[in-house]
Amino acid sequence: MATEESEFTWFDAVKDRWSHRYERFQRGWGRFTNHRMGTVGLLILVFFSLWALFPEVFAPHSPQWKAYLGPTGEGRMTLEQVESLPHPPAFGDPFFAPLGTTDGGTGVMTLMVYGAKTALYIGFAAGALSSLVGVPLGLISGFYGDTWIDETIQRIADVVYSLPFLPLVIVLVAVRGITTTNIILAIVLRSWINNCIIIRGETLSLKEHAYVDSAKVAGASDTRIVFRHILPHVLPLSFVYLAQDAAFAILTQASLAYLGLADFTAYSWGLMLQNIQARGYIFDAFWWLIPPGLAITLVAAAFYFIGFSMEDVANPQRTQE
Amino acid sequence: MTRISAKYLAQRLVVSYLTILLIMTLLFALVRSMPGSFIDMMTSPDMTQAQVQRIRQEWGLNQPLWQQYIDFMINYQLGNFGWSPTRIAPIWQLIKQRLPRTVILFGGTYLAGIVIGPLVGMYLGWWRGSKKDQTIFTSGLLMYSIPSFWIAWLFIWAFNYELGWLPSGYMVTQFPEFAWTPISLSVDILRHLALPIISFSVIGWVGTMLVMRTTMNDVVDSDYVFLAEAKGVSERGVMIKHAARNALIPVATGALVGVVFILDGSVVLENVFNYPGMGNLIVTAVLNSDYPVTQAVFFVMAVLIVFMRLLTDVAYTYLDPRIKFGEEE
Repeated sequence: MATEESEFTWFDAVKDRWSHRYERFQRGWGRFTNHRMGTVGLLILVFFSLWALFPEVFAPHSPQWKAYLGPTGEGRMTLEQVESLPHPPAFGDPFFAPLGTTDGGTGVMTLMVYGAKTALYIGFAAGALSSLVGVPLGLISGFYGDTWIDETIQRIADVVYSLPFLPLVIVLVAVRGITTTNIILAIVLRSWINNCIIIRGETLSLKEHAYVDSAKVAGASDTRIVFRHILPHVLPLSFVYLAQDAAFAILTQASLAYLGLADFTAYSWGLMLQNIQARGYIFDAFWWLIPPGLAITLVAAAFYFIGFSMEDVANPQRTQE
Repeated sequence: MTRISAKYLAQRLVVSYLTILLIMTLLFALVRSMPGSFIDMMTSPDMTQAQVQRIRQEWGLNQPLWQQYIDFMINYQLGNFGWSPTRIAPIWQLIKQRLPRTVILFGGTYLAGIVIGPLVGMYLGWWRGSKKDQTIFTSGLLMYSIPSFWIAWLFIWAFNYELGWLPSGYMVTQFPEFAWTPISLSVDILRHLALPIISFSVIGWVGTMLVMRTTMNDVVDSDYVFLAEAKGVSERGVMIKHAARNALIPVATGALVGVVFILDGSVVLENVFNYPGMGNLIVTAVLNSDYPVTQAVFFVMAVLIVFMRLLTDVAYTYLDPRIKFGEEE
C-alpha cells in the first residue's frame, strides 16, 4: 500500500488536475483547425504580429530613412528620381525600396511594417476591452433577468445603441483629442453592447439548467454561480464577439483616419491612406495605395475568420456532417 | 388581428421618448465639451470686447448653462434647430435638403443588400459546411473587411481616372454643357450614383448574409422541415417555402435596424464622393467646429434610429406569430 501511494507523485497530481482541461482545449483546438478558414486567419495574424513585434527585423529601413539622403553613389536616389517622387518599385535602384517610396522618400514597405503594431493594438485592445465590459454586464443582466438590475443595464444599452456610431466616435475623438487610446475608448463605448446582449441571452437560458439549481442548493453564492458555473459556458461565445469587435475596430480606425482623425504620432495604415489622399497621389501611386488597404482588409478578415470558426467551437452541436 | 396590446405600445412609446430625452442630454454635454467655439471664427482680434460680447449674446452663449440646456431641450423638441453659423442658413433647411439625397444614394444600396444578402445566406445556410459554402462565405467575409473608402478609391481609379466612364463625385454635373431637362437630370444623377452604389454594395450585402446563414442553419434541423421532406416536397421547395420563410424573420427585423448602418456608411462614402448628403454635412460641421449643425444632424440621426427600433419591435410581433408582447399569461 505504502509503495503504491508513493508512486503517485506531484507530477501525477498536476497531470490529474490539468489533463481534462488539456483534453478539452485539444478538442476545441481540433474543431477550430478543422476549418481551413480559422487556420488561415490565425496564420495571417501570426504573420502581422511578427511585423508588429519585431519591426526592425522585417523593415528594410527605419521610418526616418529617406531615399534621397545618404552617401553619394551607394543607396541614394539620383536627382531625376528625386524630381519624380513618389518613386515606383523598380529593379536596379541604387537604394532598396521593395514597394517603392512615398512622395517624402520614405519606403512604403517600411511604413507597412511599422504600421502593423497600431492595427493589431487597436484590434486586440478594443476587442478585449469591449469583452471585459460587455461580458460581465451581460452575465449580471442575464442572471438577474427581469429585475431592476437587468432593466437598468438594458436601458443603458438601449440609449447607447440608439446613437449613430461613426458620428458619435467622431465627436468623442474631437472632444478628447486624437490619440490611439481615445480612438479605442470611443469604439469600445459602443461595441460592448453586442457582447452584452448576446451573453445576456445565453445566460438567460443557461441559468434554467439543473446544474445551476444544484449549485444554488449546495449553497453557492450568486457570484460563484455566475463566474464559476455560467461563465465557462459563455466564454467561447464571448471570444467569437471579441474577434468581431477587433475587426470592426480596425475598420473604424481606418475610416476615422480617412476623415482626418488619425493619431499623427503613431505609424498606421490608416494614416498612410490619409497621407496619400492629402498629398493627392491616390491615382498616381498604386504601389502606395494598394498595400495599406490590402493589409487592413487582411487583418480585419483574419479576425472575422477566427471569430466565425470559433462559433463552431462555441456551438459544437451546430456543425453537421 | 392585433397581436400587440395598446398598453405595450404605449409603454414602448414612452420608453422611446425617454431615450430621446436622454440622448439629447448626452448630446448637449458632448457638444458643449468640444474644444474651441464657433464664435472664434466670427470674431477677429481687432474686435473690441463689447463687439465679441454682442455676437455671443446673439447666439445665446451668455446665458447660464442651465438656461441654455432648457432652451435646447424645448427648441429641439419643437423642431427648432436654429441657424448654422458657417453656412448662414437655417439648420432645418439644410437637413431637409440633404436627408432625401442620402436616402436616394443609399436606398439603392440598401435594396441590393437586403435582396442579395438573404438569397446568398439561404443557400449557404442550407448547405452549410459544403465546399461551396466555405468558398462563398470566406470571400464574403473578406469583402466585409474592405475599408469602404479604399474600395471606392479603387473604383474611381478604374472607372473614372483610367476609363473615364463615370463621374467621380458630386450629385450632378457641376458646369453642364447640356440643358437641364427632367430626363437629362435623372440620367445625370444616376450616372453620379453608380460608383458610390457599386462600392457600397461590395461590402453591404454581407451583413444580411451572415444573419440569414445562421438562422437558416438553425431552421434546417427543425421538425417541420423534416416533415416537409417526408411529405415528399422537393428540396428546393422545402428550402424556399418552408425553411427560408421562417429564417427570414430575424433578417426582416434586422433590415430595419440596418438603416442605421447606412447612416454610418454615408458618413465615409459621401465624403469620398463629395456627395452633398447628411454624412458630408456632419463631418464638415465637426471639422469646422460648426457645433449647432453637428448637434442637429446627430439628433436627427438618433431620432431616426429610435424610431426604427420601435418599428422593429412592432414588426416583430406581426412577423412571428409565436411572439406576444405585453400580454399576461
